[in-house]
Amino acid sequence: MSNDYLYDRSGSDPEVAQLEELLGAYRHDAPLRELPGTPVRSLRARRIALIAVPVLAAAAVVLVVLLRRTEEVPRAATACTGDTGFAFNVTGGSASCAGGAASTGSLTVGDWFETARDGVANVKVANIGEMTVYGDSKLRLVGTGPNEHRLELAHGKLSAHVVAPPRIFIIDTPAAAAVDLGCAYDMEVDGAGRTHLRVSTGAVSLEGKAGHTAYVLAGHEVDVVPGRGPGTPVAIDTTPAVRTAVAKLDAGEAAGLPALLEAAQPNDMVTLWNVVARTAGAQRVQAIAKLETFAQLPLDVSRERVLAGEPAALDAWRESVIARWLAPW
Amino acid sequence: MLVIAAQTGSRPAFATLYERFHRVVHAIALARVSASDANDVVQDVFAEAWAKLGGVREPAAFPGWIVMLARSRAIDHARKQRPTEAPGDLAVEPPPRAEAAAALDALRALPDTYRETLIMRLVEGLSGPEIAERTGMTPDSVRVHLHRGMKLLREALQ
Repeated sequence: MSNDYLYDRSGSDPEVAQLEELLGAYRHDAPLRELPGTPVRSLRARRIALIAVPVLAAAAVVLVVLLRRTEEVPRAATACTGDTGFAFNVTGGSASCAGGAASTGSLTVGDWFETARDGVANVKVANIGEMTVYGDSKLRLVGTGPNEHRLELAHGKLSAHVVAPPRIFIIDTPAAAAVDLGCAYDMEVDGAGRTHLRVSTGAVSLEGKAGHTAYVLAGHEVDVVPGRGPGTPVAIDTTPAVRTAVAKLDAGEAAGLPALLEAAQPNDMVTLWNVVARTAGAQRVQAIAKLETFAQLPLDVSRERVLAGEPAALDAWRESVIARWLAPW
Repeated sequence: MLVIAAQTGSRPAFATLYERFHRVVHAIALARVSASDANDVVQDVFAEAWAKLGGVREPAAFPGWIVMLARSRAIDHARKQRPTEAPGDLAVEPPPRAEAAAALDALRALPDTYRETLIMRLVEGLSGPEIAERTGMTPDSVRVHLHRGMKLLREALQ
């Protein structure tokens, strides 16, 4: 057991406990006051509701169908019988675990789970979410514990949906590690190890082997090439000009940055924030100037701190950029 | 789902969001304005959130969004106060205890980076993992902010 009372109340720290008691007098306990009428729903919110309701209904129907199918189909012998935290259920085609045919079971640390070309499987992610693994995929459970659940996707495609504190769920690919920040995403790794990540809710920190990181917000996608590290995320609905510019930038072409700065629109502000975070010197100055036209620096963050690449300053600006990108009003 | 439900006008869903986030918002306000004004900022922030919630296009971004909204409104409030209220006037009326007011003043004097996080922990009673979950910060960042902030606070209180 850890002894970090200040962080998680484990162990003890009389000084911190005394301050808690003293300052607890200022704790907020007031109830919510009466609210005015129904909030005005934006087109975007209506779009969310329009999408969410049918999708949830369809998901419920699919779940019922799958459950019925699961009850009807006789089980093949189970090759993997690990902790039920990573139970899998092959819902279409065929799959193998640890080299043996398997239709249900549980992943054990180290054993490879593979789907055939026509295979589809649901995999539970401990008590925090689930994945759908599509055909011709190969993955294994690297480790599982209270602070981290880690898998490796050697090749193939999966969709993950996780509801958990950030950085609990990680998927390694040959090119990078996708660190979940509370989200849903699709990931595909081809035979050469190239990774494509598309985030649908929340965010993912895509971390390259050499320390290069991309912050991929919902509504963005990114490619990772082995040996080069994560590319620059782009909005899914960005313009072809931005995609071309980012491809050049990621390939190390000098023309990439000016082309991106010329083509970037407000919809590309998360892309620009990533460029600010990973550049230095004159390039960073140019990227900051462009991003500032879309999202001002927070009042308590100076340009000098961002120029210096101070992580807290970059994080604070990123929060501001995200808020602006998600809810421009 | 709570955010989507609140966006469609569900008051119980919004009340649940309030229960979950009011202390985070209060901590952000308390880092910048007096204790009595911080209560007003909380109510203003949630009234504005209720009105503008429809503009949040990604429910998972609600924590980051409400944090930004709280900072903006707290800063606005502090700017309005500035001409008439000096830092020494920030104590709540009546102050819970002179000792508590002194500790709060010391907390408020910490650098921005650590102040909010430490108020969430010591005043609002949230644990580090709860702070991370409700602000979108990484647990590692929260841990670092708490420990560095606490070191500075100890020095200030001695």
